[in-house]
Amino acid sequence: MWIILIGFLAGVLLGMLSPFTVPVVYARYLSIALLAALDTVFGGLRASLEGTYDNGVFITGFFTNGLLAAGLVYLGDRIGVDDLYLAGVAAMGIRMFNNLGFIRRALFTKWRLIQAKGPGAGGAAPAGRSQR
Amino acid sequence: MLVRRVPWAIAVVCLVLGFMLSMQFKVQRQVALNTASLQRAQELAAALEKSEAERERLMTELDELRGQMTAMVKNQAELADVAEQLELAQVHAGLVPLTGPGVIVTMKDSTLPVTPGENPNNYIIHDEDVLKTINDLAAAGAEAMAVNGQRLVASSEVRCSGPTITVNGVRTAPPIVITAVGDPEVLQEAITMRGGVADQLKPWGIEVSVVMQEEVTVPAYKGSLRLKYGEPVTQEVSED
Repeated sequence: MWIILIGFLAGVLLGMLSPFTVPVVYARYLSIALLAALDTVFGGLRASLEGTYDNGVFITGFFTNGLLAAGLVYLGDRIGVDDLYLAGVAAMGIRMFNNLGFIRRALFTKWRLIQAKGPGAGGAAPAGRSQR
Repeated sequence: MLVRRVPWAIAVVCLVLGFMLSMQFKVQRQVALNTASLQRAQELAAALEKSEAERERLMTELDELRGQMTAMVKNQAELADVAEQLELAQVHAGLVPLTGPGVIVTMKDSTLPVTPGENPNNYIIHDEDVLKTINDLAAAGAEAMAVNGQRLVASSEVRCSGPTITVNGVRTAPPIVITAVGDPEVLQEAITMRGGVADQLKPWGIEVSVVMQEEVTVPAYKGSLRLKYGEPVTQEVSED
């Protein structure tokens, strides 16, 4: 768990401290790639809650989804469909909401289980033990 | 515990995600800054409008006070000599409206259609055109001039300010009406002579019309008279 936080913080720091910024012209590509990346992260979170998480799938998905999304926007710009990125935004936005909804439900049912087992023993340790 | 096996791949993913996020925040802040400048322009425009209204108010007040001052000096018998000098000085300084024979020069933007490939700037009146006109009028012996109701005095400017022209710090737009007191025929000749201002602007369709008048009135200068830097040299003048 800690590796996630450390990696994330290191990335944020790197971005903040780096002297260059993406030119505004390319900001659209970055934003759509970021959206795809976030979508993949939520998808991974959902998969880990479902127990179907696969490291390889997650990592390749993270990078290829981002690149593909940015590539789609680029293609749209090339062929004169400037609003093609909207398709990406809509598709990934819907998926993100679906995944978030699933994560919420999964966490909620887990919490319910803990509550049912014993109200006095709260916290993370019983949760881990209950999963076995 | 399964994740423990390859934590570095996850770390790299998180690193990239964080990097992208912060980058995107930075870019968006830049975009926001750019759009904020538009809002700032609107704010400044509002402030300008406000201070212009304030100036208008102060100008009428100034006008009143100047009138009062002249009246007071005139009313006192022992100051009759000074009053005469003051009046003369005010006439020359442009603080008093002047009337007499003269001309009214009207300059209008071109009504010709702009042909493609042609610079549209050629078809509108610029500060230079107005300057040339008043320069010619002054050379022809105009005693007093006003551009769109703004009396030209020693400190007057005729300056391009975007789509408008400022005279005495007041924005005006074409049509430009120049009132000049002087010999009407000489003044008219000065503008309409061959190679003169009217002739030069004709190809672009800019209309310069001169109307001779038995009597024209040039308004008084209403701007500030306060000197911030200059001081009159009294000693050397008395030595002469």
